[in-house]
Amino acid sequence: MDQRLLRPGVARALGWIALAALAVLVIFGLFVAPPDRIQSDAQRLMYLHVPVAWVAYLAFGITALGSVLWLLPRTRSPVWDRLAGSSAEIGVIFTALTLVDGSLWGRPVWGVWWAWDARLVTTAVLFFLYLGYLALRRIPSSPEARAKRCAIAALVAFVDVPIVHFSVNLWRTLHQQGTVFNDQLDAHIHGVMAFTLWFGVFAFTLVYVYLLDKRYRLLVLDEDREEREVQQAIAERLAASPVPPAPPTPPVEVGAPR
Amino acid sequence: MRFAEYVITGWALTGATLAVYWFWIVRRTRRAEQSLPDGEVE
Repeated sequence: MDQRLLRPGVARALGWIALAALAVLVIFGLFVAPPDRIQSDAQRLMYLHVPVAWVAYLAFGITALGSVLWLLPRTRSPVWDRLAGSSAEIGVIFTALTLVDGSLWGRPVWGVWWAWDARLVTTAVLFFLYLGYLALRRIPSSPEARAKRCAIAALVAFVDVPIVHFSVNLWRTLHQQGTVFNDQLDAHIHGVMAFTLWFGVFAFTLVYVYLLDKRYRLLVLDEDREEREVQQAIAERLAASPVPPAPPTPPVEVGAPR
Repeated sequence: MRFAEYVITGWALTGATLAVYWFWIVRRTRRAEQSLPDGEVE
């Protein structure tokens, strides 16, 4: 697990399955699922918006989990730090997609691209928090110190995830409350529409796992390259040094006359 | 399709973003693997 999360064969198969799942989602989302009675075809953006928002939550959850496992002395391993960093980057991309797809849906349905609404604002805050986390990871430092401060930052940033999720219940807001799991609403969703929505969640989860494996592998290679460059720079500095290294001092015996 | 400009833009942007990100990872991974000493790939 040190070098890769998944075996190369498994990762390759997962990539093809994820691609096929996305193709099925495109067919169902754009052509098979009927238009919504009120929102008409703008509803088709929900087959993206909801799954990418779910993956953003999942990615930041994995980042938080990796950070906790790194902080606990018993489970501390560079694997968890890499997992956290890789997952956070994917989470940032999916949060950006959540905002963009939501905005494209909001224009025809709400009449605005953006509103200073609790869900939208807390999601934007989430995006910038994890953008800051990624910036923190790029500050040069020892791997240990970087992993520690990033793990703490990830846990602080994760506080915003439940705030985003429950923002529609905590504040009166333009963004609608949950639909699928809302008992009070008792929503009857057309079978094909429900299938497309859940299939979207499934397809994007596969995409997430595939990308996580790829990004983790790249992080391992980057760390190896950095280590090699440091070793090479030290060797070059020593070779170019005009002063020869001092000979080793003989050990001083305890109690020996000076 | 009503609101086609929004729907198609959303789907196209999402697909393009994921494709570009995947391509960026694959290209950097290949470059990094080629720079390994003696072409060592684990």
